[in-house]
Amino acid sequence: MSGVVGTAMRRVDAAEKATGAARFTGDLALPGLLCGKVLRSPFPHARLVRVDTSAAERMPGVRAVLTGGDLADLDPYYGHAIKDRPIVALERVRFIGEPVAAVAADDEAAAEEALRAITVEYEELPAVTVLGEALAAGAPRVHEGPLRPGLFHGLGDLRREEGNICYHYHFARGDLESAFAASDVVVEGEYTFPAVYQYAMEPHTVIAQWGESEITVWASCQHPYLVRAELADLFRVPLSAVRVIVPYVGGGFGSKSYTKMEPLTVALARKARRPVRIANSIEEAMVTTRRHNMRCWMRTGATRDGAVVARQCRIWLDTGAYADNGPRVAATAGDAAPGAYRWRAVGVDAWAVYTHTPPAGSYRAFGAAHMAWIGESQIDALARRVGLDPLEFRRRNLLRPGEEVRPGGKPLDADLVGDVTKVAAAVGWGTPKPPFVGRGVGVGLLAAGAQPVSTAVLRLQADGTVVLLVSTTELGQGARTAFTQIVADELGVPPSRVRVAGADTQVTPFDRSTGASRSTTLAGTAVQRASADLRGQLLEIAKRVWGLPLSALTVRDGAVWHETDALPFPELLARHFGMVGGELIGRGEVRPERGSGSYAEGPVFWEVCVGGAEVHVSPETGQIRVRRLASVADVGKAINPQLVEAQDEGASLQGLGNTLFEEMIFENGQLMNGSLLDYHVPTTADLPDAFHTIIVENGDGPGPYGAKGVGEGALAAVPAAIVNALADLGLEIRDLPVTPERVLRCLGVLGAPAGTGGAAP
Amino acid sequence: MLRPFEIHEPTSIAEASRLLADHGEDAAVYAGGTELILVMKEGLAHFRHLVDIKTIPGLETIAYDGAVLRLGALATHRAIERSAVVGRHAPLLASVASQVANPRVRNVGTLGGNLCFAEPHSDLGTLCVAWDAVIVLARDGEERSVPADRFFTGVLETVREPDEVLVRVELRPFGPGTGGAYQRFAMHERPTAGVAAVVATRGGVIQHGRIAIGSVGPMPVRASEAEAMLAGAPLRDEALREAAKAVGRHAEVMDDLYGSAAYKRHVLTVLAARALREAVACAREEDA
Repeated sequence: MSGVVGTAMRRVDAAEKATGAARFTGDLALPGLLCGKVLRSPFPHARLVRVDTSAAERMPGVRAVLTGGDLADLDPYYGHAIKDRPIVALERVRFIGEPVAAVAADDEAAAEEALRAITVEYEELPAVTVLGEALAAGAPRVHEGPLRPGLFHGLGDLRREEGNICYHYHFARGDLESAFAASDVVVEGEYTFPAVYQYAMEPHTVIAQWGESEITVWASCQHPYLVRAELADLFRVPLSAVRVIVPYVGGGFGSKSYTKMEPLTVALARKARRPVRIANSIEEAMVTTRRHNMRCWMRTGATRDGAVVARQCRIWLDTGAYADNGPRVAATAGDAAPGAYRWRAVGVDAWAVYTHTPPAGSYRAFGAAHMAWIGESQIDALARRVGLDPLEFRRRNLLRPGEEVRPGGKPLDADLVGDVTKVAAAVGWGTPKPPFVGRGVGVGLLAAGAQPVSTAVLRLQADGTVVLLVSTTELGQGARTAFTQIVADELGVPPSRVRVAGADTQVTPFDRSTGASRSTTLAGTAVQRASADLRGQLLEIAKRVWGLPLSALTVRDGAVWHETDALPFPELLARHFGMVGGELIGRGEVRPERGSGSYAEGPVFWEVCVGGAEVHVSPETGQIRVRRLASVADVGKAINPQLVEAQDEGASLQGLGNTLFEEMIFENGQLMNGSLLDYHVPTTADLPDAFHTIIVENGDGPGPYGAKGVGEGALAAVPAAIVNALADLGLEIRDLPVTPERVLRCLGVLGAPAGTGGAAP
Repeated sequence: MLRPFEIHEPTSIAEASRLLADHGEDAAVYAGGTELILVMKEGLAHFRHLVDIKTIPGLETIAYDGAVLRLGALATHRAIERSAVVGRHAPLLASVASQVANPRVRNVGTLGGNLCFAEPHSDLGTLCVAWDAVIVLARDGEERSVPADRFFTGVLETVREPDEVLVRVELRPFGPGTGGAYQRFAMHERPTAGVAAVVATRGGVIQHGRIAIGSVGPMPVRASEAEAMLAGAPLRDEALREAAKAVGRHAEVMDDLYGSAAYKRHVLTVLAARALREAVACAREEDA
């Protein structure tokens, strides 16, 4: 062991990124690379009567113009959950911003001029642009016909319900009616959560090259192997004929999970027979994917002596015009709805609903961020009703480690009571409060890890350096650094002798995805196992060379040792291959250790969402100032504490934005604040006065050294903590974001609260 | 992206004015570009000719002649914030300039550009209206002076003729017994509401007060009802409070994405009270 695991080792990409040397997809240049631009629909729902590209095609510098007519030889629908999305609009458009045509030209100016020369005749159709309209009886349908499962739907049977519902997730345990009848106090409410933009600094960027025998794609995507599979399926080629390369990615947060702009770029390159780059602007990224807005009805019951009894919940998630990850978001929201409590009965229904708005997909802590603040505000309301301190109420009712969270799933693998006690202390729980200051805590669980399938390959070179091949994408989270630390310790080499390659499906082996807080836990385990495999091979060679038993040998400082004798790795390689050269290859894999590895039998681990907040409310303006914000990074083992903190702080700040001011505002399907001037992304100016990440290392995770993932929990915990801090001041919050105007309405300064609830369609 | 355009670099006001006249609606004055280039990039406006007035010498000068502070159109927000002359004679202006937008905008954005663009959320526009600033417009060989409260005519609209160039803004520093303040409330890049107040006092009486409100309507406007209540009123908090209420009550405000008219009226009242109190406190300091 060289002992870098557990240290705040500097990021391996720090210098590259600080100096601008790091290469992102948009930095790449290829001979003959064309600029691709997309013509987007101005209508939420319309029939495409005519798309005339003839003038555009004749313009100087224009090499190809793609429309739906170019896809006749394909089954042009994709969608990892539900195959509902055409590569480019076919006979109709379903949201404002949907690609209708794409141009490949010699430069950006020519491409933009060509877009202006395309004439499209639309016949407007009735649109459903909000949940209420989409769910109304007789509402226009966003999609007709049966739903086709995507390659990675993982959702059991797809069952079409009536109208615009694309997925229904349901579970019930215990007898709800009798449990509520046995509850002395019941709180009930209707809630809304807004559509939110994930904002990655680098918008979606793709370069595609259509070769004689291979499709090559450089993409700012999170999940190269899933993109590869969808492209191979769409363009009818073997998996091995699609190569997806992912350079550094400038932030994902879920916005680059699964397949986004890749099919359109490949189709355009196919037509142009030249490599093409499509780089979204921020404005285009905002209509490419977003977080689901949601309506929710929930009731929760408890006994008068302070025991929780039952919870029932109905959730409607607006997934926009295409399912994207909506079904999974619905299932995860459903799983998060009960929270981490011991119920006698619980019943949850969650629906993903189509509307004529831009598609909604993944965003950090999806489902849990939607639901934790609602469930936790009802927990606080119950605590007040039965006369218990909210913290004490939680201590009595929270699940303990090893208790069942849901039948057949992973038992609780975290100390929630310990965690919430820590955040409460960090925000001054129980100490006197100045006027207009409130405090709250929130606790939740997020089903993390997605599917437990990852592989890694480690190549020991003749000079004793190692190259790690792993398909986790480096999104800024620090995966390459954490893996370097694991390899360095496992092989006993300094981190400077470890190089982590970027994801390239022709080179780096399969990894399910980079998301769901899974990489350190799952890919990290594959990396650890690959290291162990390589270490085992080195020991075997040393055993042969020296004729000694394995028990007499150790690995450290880049060599195999017997007492004071050392065989450095290069010498072991030379002895093994009989020349200077050759390489040893270590392999590691992670696959389900029990059952099928399905979501139902998961999760891989429960990511803890525990936070505390102390807020000040201005009774004059309604402005909320967060005085103290604390969250727990319950990581089992912090491979790199500084990266853990950075992940947790980032999630906290996004949680703060989601709670206080972030909202994509749509009117009749048109995004009204579709730029960074009008949409407020959290900045350092929005930081709380004090900001604590509490790292908890109980060694209770399934990953290397007992680690488990981090980076999402705070985004679910912070809204809950802030909403409960406001409840501490008597403000009953039913709608996010909690704008100053909503605060004043809650305070009665501007009259009755407006726009509250209305969840039951 | 930016569509192609031609840039002109005149060396005199007369030349700039001629270029603007020649190209009419196809031309725009280009100073800091922080608003202009943004709308052009977004495709919201396209000008085939940009007349860059940064090549005209002397337009960035800031000077005080013992009575009037003259701020050249090209003075950047940062230059105003850091100017010793402004700091001595109009510290309120320096303070507001230091709050405009963000550091990148303040480093290149200019006073003249800010006023001519007439974005309804301009902090400086609101301040100029309350301060009774004079805006000087010029074309070939002639100048005219326009009081700030008659300069703005609507959203992104002013009295400036297409061939005129804003050359400077003239302000009179506050005399003894007079003070000013600017208060705003911002949750987003642009303020939700802003209130500027300049109050002249003598011997426990408010002689007159000028109040301007911004960000809530198409342009900064004076709160004349509140101003009338202040004239001759005793210098007591109650008078300020009542005037502040009148600011909110009479303001013409629009609902928008970031708030209802009712909320903005409420915030205007809060801000007006804060601005008036601060102006009065500042007047007392000036008196002392």
